[in-house]
Amino acid sequence: MSINTSCSGSPSGGGGNSSGSGGSGGGGPCGACKFLRRKCVQGCIFAPYFDSEQGATHFAAVHKVFGASNVSKLLLNIPVHKRLDAVVTICYEAQARLRDPVYGCVAHIFALQQQVVTLQAELTYLQGHLATLELPHPPQPPPSPPQPTLGPPTLSISDLPPPPPTPATTTAVPATYDLSSLFEPMAQTSWAMQHRPADVPRQFFSGGTSTSLPSSGAGGSGGGDLQTLAHELLRRHGSDPPTCSSAPSSHSHSK
Amino acid sequence: MNSGRCAACKSQRRKCPSDCIFSPYFPANDPQRFACVHKIYGSSNVGKMLQEIPPNLREEAANTLYLEAKWRIEDPIYGCVGIISSLYKQIQNAEIELAKIQTQIAFYKLQTQQQVIEAEPNMEVLQSQSSNMEQFEVDNLFEWENPTIASWFN
Repeated sequence: MSINTSCSGSPSGGGGNSSGSGGSGGGGPCGACKFLRRKCVQGCIFAPYFDSEQGATHFAAVHKVFGASNVSKLLLNIPVHKRLDAVVTICYEAQARLRDPVYGCVAHIFALQQQVVTLQAELTYLQGHLATLELPHPPQPPPSPPQPTLGPPTLSISDLPPPPPTPATTTAVPATYDLSSLFEPMAQTSWAMQHRPADVPRQFFSGGTSTSLPSSGAGGSGGGDLQTLAHELLRRHGSDPPTCSSAPSSHSHSK
Repeated sequence: MNSGRCAACKSQRRKCPSDCIFSPYFPANDPQRFACVHKIYGSSNVGKMLQEIPPNLREEAANTLYLEAKWRIEDPIYGCVGIISSLYKQIQNAEIELAKIQTQIAFYKLQTQQQVIEAEPNMEVLQSQSSNMEQFEVDNLFEWENPTIASWFN
């Protein structure tokens, strides 16, 4: 499914898809207004992103989790050229939450953090082993590999289920997740890569202090990879990302 | 036991009933927690979501809802997808580092094996005289054990 990345968010003019131009001279209401069974007015904020076909399905998930009013307020506070990205990520979160009402997309984040911890432990072990090889005396037997419990002290490894094979999906609700580490913003020794602190994305869009869980910051221009990731995450969930149905305007969308 | 209203009911300016679904997870002493989820999801949606979840999992659900709401407030465009992306990058960087270190370890192991081989005196002699010695020994053996046959080769 193609994503129209040149969408400006303005509902003027007919778009590539059948409807979504705010009800103006086209194929009818946008997916959101169709779902809400209301008149799709000129300038409908949802129209560029929720077409009348698949858009209604996407919007149903978004409406159930976030509510139309909340999403509308959210989009109004976002620059027009970033609204498509916001819609895609909101759709992803909504669908993740519907699939896993308890953990939503936090399950995915947790699984990724687990991977990071495991890789860091393996790195530490191998670096130690390499250090023994580099020494001038005869090499000593390598130390036994560290157990995965070398992760953050607050993480209950034994309680965790194995990471899902497809990280974006959670097919089973795990017994428990120890989320306390996710609530500690500055526990940087727990999660940050020990030997590459400079590479840890602190604020995702702007420089900031290193945090245990890299917090994302608003603004910034590095959204191309994120847009790709958001679309990919949505596809992995089995649904196509929402499309932008407005005619392109003065908008440059980085990829 | 609730001696007062929970954060949700305070925010909504209503009486907090004894079976309020929010009160175990949104205490009055943490108003910011409920403010986050209310801003992103709305109290009605949060209430409905919690109602649909078994009671033993509601605390986890409330925690994850709060986390997602917090991340969305911090990053209105990408929310938790920003976090996911940065974690993927961390994983990628770690895998690259691992590959480098494994290569270095393999190199050092090869070096060590080479040193062991070169340190053996018999091995040196064999390496330097291997071709001559082999022929000499074979020839001698034949002469000593099978003089007749050896003469055919001479």
